[in-house]
Amino acid sequence: MTQLNSSAYLGIPVEVGAIDGELKKLWEADEASTNASLMNFLVYTEDPSRLQKNSQTIQELTRENACRAVLIAMNRHAADVKVESWITAHCHLAHGKKSICSEQVSFLLHGRSLGRLRNTVFAHLNSDLPLVFWWQGEFSELFEERLYRLLDRLIFDSSDWADPKAGFRRLLMARSDTKGRMVTQDLSWTRSYFYRLAVARLFDDPMADKAFPEIEGVRVMAQSKHRIAALLLLAWIITRSGWSIQSQESDRVILESREGGEVIVELIWIDGGAPISGLEISAPNFKARVSREAGNPHLCQSICAENHSIDFSGPADFDDSAGLVASQLSRGGKNSLFLNVLPQFVKLLEGGD
Amino acid sequence: MGKTVVNNPFREDLVSRNLAEACSVVIFGATGDLTHRKLIPALYNLAIDGELPAGVKILGFARRDWSDKFFCEGLKKLNRQVSRTGHDEEIWKSLAANIEYHKSEFQDKDGYKRLSDRLDEIDRERGGKGNRLFYIASAPEYFDDILLNLKAAGLSQQRLDCDGCWSRVIVEKPFGTTLETAQHLNEVVNGTFEEKDTYRIDHYLGKETAQNIMVLRFANAIFEPMWNKEYIDHIQITCAEHLGMEGGRGGYYDEAGALRDMVQNHLLQLLSLVAMEPPTDLTADGVRDEKVKVIRSLRQWDTPELVAENVVRGQYIAGNINGKEVPGYRDEDRVKPDSETEAYVALRCMVDTWRWSGVPFYVRVGKRLPKKGTEISVHFKETPSVLFNAMPGGVPTGNVLVIRIQPDEGISLMMNSKLPGTTLRMEPVKMDFHYASSFGKSSPEAYERLLLDAMAGDATLFARRDEVEEAWRFIDKIHKAWANSSEELPISKFAAGSWGPREADELLAKDGRNWRRL
Repeated sequence: MTQLNSSAYLGIPVEVGAIDGELKKLWEADEASTNASLMNFLVYTEDPSRLQKNSQTIQELTRENACRAVLIAMNRHAADVKVESWITAHCHLAHGKKSICSEQVSFLLHGRSLGRLRNTVFAHLNSDLPLVFWWQGEFSELFEERLYRLLDRLIFDSSDWADPKAGFRRLLMARSDTKGRMVTQDLSWTRSYFYRLAVARLFDDPMADKAFPEIEGVRVMAQSKHRIAALLLLAWIITRSGWSIQSQESDRVILESREGGEVIVELIWIDGGAPISGLEISAPNFKARVSREAGNPHLCQSICAENHSIDFSGPADFDDSAGLVASQLSRGGKNSLFLNVLPQFVKLLEGGD
Repeated sequence: MGKTVVNNPFREDLVSRNLAEACSVVIFGATGDLTHRKLIPALYNLAIDGELPAGVKILGFARRDWSDKFFCEGLKKLNRQVSRTGHDEEIWKSLAANIEYHKSEFQDKDGYKRLSDRLDEIDRERGGKGNRLFYIASAPEYFDDILLNLKAAGLSQQRLDCDGCWSRVIVEKPFGTTLETAQHLNEVVNGTFEEKDTYRIDHYLGKETAQNIMVLRFANAIFEPMWNKEYIDHIQITCAEHLGMEGGRGGYYDEAGALRDMVQNHLLQLLSLVAMEPPTDLTADGVRDEKVKVIRSLRQWDTPELVAENVVRGQYIAGNINGKEVPGYRDEDRVKPDSETEAYVALRCMVDTWRWSGVPFYVRVGKRLPKKGTEISVHFKETPSVLFNAMPGGVPTGNVLVIRIQPDEGISLMMNSKLPGTTLRMEPVKMDFHYASSFGKSSPEAYERLLLDAMAGDATLFARRDEVEEAWRFIDKIHKAWANSSEELPISKFAAGSWGPREADELLAKDGRNWRRL
């Protein structure tokens, strides 16, 4: 596999019709490496400049997730209809001895041609293996039923969306079309995983447990680019707490707790810093806080209650997409909690104008 | 699995298992190897994964005159060396802030009184929740003292002033050395803690692949219909160790031997997971009810003749492993020069149930074997003697399903395939699943899972009183036969670095079978 390893990005250019044959030749020429694949991992972008970066991301992801990777970039504005394709493999030493390789096929599709994305995807899958589809950017009209009904897992990042309302409407429609079979994973949701774990951990504390019915304030601080991640985190808190939204005005939300108390939520947008830089939950004589500085791999967690206070550190979420995708893949599952949170999230999203 | 009732609304759904609750963890024998190499790194890795509940306080209880600082420094040094996720100073600081040392003799009642006061103080600081988890990791001769003194100090019962609080105990192996001593220890434990609060640890049950046995059997439709005497020829369970008595292990091992040290607990637990009927539910008792039935159904080898026929014990003599000369068992450090203790044992076990009637379970365990590995192999019956099996030579091999417990955890299935070519030639091929390369995350250490389960009140992966006693009943009879007739039941010798004594091969050969080559 020397030839493949020397190619840092997309690998060897090949004719589309010759891809399978060329891949076969490559493996036949190499007896030292093992071709491994546990899923079809498809990355789609409508920004052709991301193709090479996506290949680098796959290089990282395949360290722990052996797959058949298919990268597709669509240049829809090109005048001529044509396809360019490349093959390569990403090899990693397993346990310091065996070279485990994941093959990658990349496509750059120029111009417009009906059904070409769908057909390109389906022509290059390993049969029987799950299909994980990472859709980068907004859902365009190419995100259509005949494509998504065959996906097992859809990964996307709603923080990339200019129009999140339209994006989530599209997503809910796709979920409905697939009768919930397709697992959906929003990287904006993944961004708050360790925040959620930290909140859960803080409320294991008996003082926090005692203060819970008296919570009167929640503050979420986040980058404006990560507004969706902040709203998803807030929607999770509301859903888990059994609170209901009474009114919403811009970045201030009034909630009613199960006990009938008023909970005031403030969303504070900060330039720079971590995607979500802080979360405070307060009650009389009680404050639980989770915070993170930019680039810090840890979350600071604290509780202050009367004469009781604790501080500790915990892990923080990845900032980069590759790290977030890797952590999603490692957790697997149906992501049902995300779906449970969506109704409150949609209310917050719709009411935030 | 049974659900622990917790009020924290944020915990629900975030993890699909029982919820660990904040508590004070008191480790008896805190200066020992187990605490440094396993328990603290396990708690640290739970913290790294964000799974350790807030407010967990760790108190090391031991006799040496150490300070909190000295204790923590030693733990940190080892954690750096052995933690599976590496060492993150920030997380360590956060954990270490909750680690303290409590100096006391195990027999000193006053030490337990001070411990009680200290725990009360921690509970007050923490806000009133008085959950306590006592981990007895000391040498076994102190188990009674520790338990009785915990009871005398009022620490074994839940605090009366705290609704829903609990007090639990984890007891390390060895859980007795005979049926009688195990029964005595059970009397002492259950006189101190209720059975539901008693967690007898068998770290094999915390291993990912051991937990996966039930998933493999009961979450896949293709295996269970064939998991019986109609389709399975026999089952082998192997636990091979290439090490000998390094690190001062000889003293303990020479008293225990392979049968007591490994078979009574780990290997019989694996056997019960493989042979059990589907439980009615996944509660701790639902699973353990079925496991204990298997152990109770083991045919008893209770006469010297039966033992001679079904059990082989062995000792290694000098040999070499990986090109390195190694001493014989009797020349090992802290082993008696005339020792009669077995460093190898192979058994033919019969599970007398409808499902397994006539299917032997061959179990072997030994030191100084060629390589390290624990696995269960399920050998399916051969195809009928028609078609391919009627051809000269027949099919090359029967199907074998291998569950690798350690290392290189995974599952493989051997099947026969046609070799490419114009003639019909068949070769066995292997379908292989490796945990390490299939999932994008490393498996937690067994102690991580087990500690978290004990904090959550889930005893599924811990041995129950009747399981332990039934296992000892089986083992004791073999020991008694050895003790009563050492003339007729000699210890077979084998060269270190080989796969055990010739007699162990003959144990299978007389049934027309062979040990699987690992």
